[in-house]
Amino acid sequence: MPGETQSGMHCVEVEALLAEALDGALHGPTLAAFEAHQQSCPTCRAMVEEARAGMHWLQGLSEAEPPRNLVHNILAQTIGALPSEHQAVKPRGEGWLERLKGRLAPIFAGVATPRFAMSFGMAFFSITMLLGIAGFHFADIRHWDLSSKGITKTYYATQARVMRYYDNMRLVYEIESRVRDLRRAATPDNTQDMQQQPQQPQPEAPAAAPKNPSKSENRQQNRDHHTYGRDEGGPELAAFPLPRLASEKAGHEPGAQLHNLPQARQTRRTV
Amino acid sequence: MDDIQAVNALVRRCVSGDAGAWQEIVQQYHRRIYNICYRFSGSPDDASDLTQEVFIKMYRTLSTYDTSRASFMTWVTTVTRNLLVDHFRKGKYDRITDSLDAAPASQEDGLTLAEQLEDKAASPESRMRSKETQQLVHEALRRLSPELREAVILRDLQDLDYKDIAKVLSVPEGTVKSRINRGRTELARLLQRTYKQAG
Repeated sequence: MPGETQSGMHCVEVEALLAEALDGALHGPTLAAFEAHQQSCPTCRAMVEEARAGMHWLQGLSEAEPPRNLVHNILAQTIGALPSEHQAVKPRGEGWLERLKGRLAPIFAGVATPRFAMSFGMAFFSITMLLGIAGFHFADIRHWDLSSKGITKTYYATQARVMRYYDNMRLVYEIESRVRDLRRAATPDNTQDMQQQPQQPQPEAPAAAPKNPSKSENRQQNRDHHTYGRDEGGPELAAFPLPRLASEKAGHEPGAQLHNLPQARQTRRTV
Repeated sequence: MDDIQAVNALVRRCVSGDAGAWQEIVQQYHRRIYNICYRFSGSPDDASDLTQEVFIKMYRTLSTYDTSRASFMTWVTTVTRNLLVDHFRKGKYDRITDSLDAAPASQEDGLTLAEQLEDKAASPESRMRSKETQQLVHEALRRLSPELREAVILRDLQDLDYKDIAKVLSVPEGTVKSRINRGRTELARLLQRTYKQAG
């Protein structure tokens, strides 16, 4: 077989046993076969020699001396405390804050970096600027009463303010609604409607006012009649026959009177 | 066995919040971790930073240590090695490795390495006495590939057995032995070349 010598051991086996051979862990026939192969195989002999030399070089390296402040730095970064020889100098009772710092230090070690500090600073600056634009000032915070009594008082004051606002809005809407009604009543189309309504029950006595008309309606109605009469010269004569004629022409149709009203007015004017 | 139990008790105290126990752990292991980092990175400053990072990582993950799986020493070494590998992958430490395929000078000259070293009329142990030689070996170690470097550091400098090294590196024992052999061989060739160039 290739690589096999008279010792009966292959080069691959020599390589596999090399580490143990250098450790002195081979004994008996295995060691003898290993040695015999080495003598007969120059490649394996060179390999063993080189490996042995390398091991000696490495094992000859002395231990490196760590920096003096290494332990101090490690403890400061993990538990935030100094080594015991330094702690002995410190008076007792002052350590709770440092202990707290020590516990928090490893938690915040990841964020306590310049990059994070820069990002946090930029975010804080942006938020502060936005709040300033929105009209919020941190100086106002000290005027806040954050006691339970103060919070209750603020709650009720806010509720009362909301209720007042609601009532005021209701009043405003009511006034607006009334104004809208008045305005609608003041327009000419509505005036006609209003004019017809009191005439329907008593067409024969237009001069007689409805039983309970509103003042504005009466005023409007009177103004119309007055205007009409002033233009035509005789309100009683002009107004009286027309409704009667219209009702007669309508032949008791319910909507005929309204449809015929403009015609009637036209007729009156021509008369 | 007593040592293992004592260390486990120390770890339990530390996990329960005993700052003194943590201080003991730091005192006990900082030298070892620093040396691994120093030999791996090649720089005292980097080694100091890396050692601190290892302890910070240990402090955070100490509660995950399982006494039934491995000894505390193996766990500490694994944490250190993983952190070193992470740093290496980030490109902080470049690989400066001479090829293993480089022809051994012994074949070129027709002399074995042992013979050449004998020609220098000094054994490796005697050369180690000088600080300069230590520096040369340290530089040669830095030029090994990370896989070979970590294997020989753990075996020849930290004196871990093959089983523990296999656990730390997460490779079979046979691979560990092979890497150790190759690492030692390559280191010897590098040093041989250095001495040859020097004169």
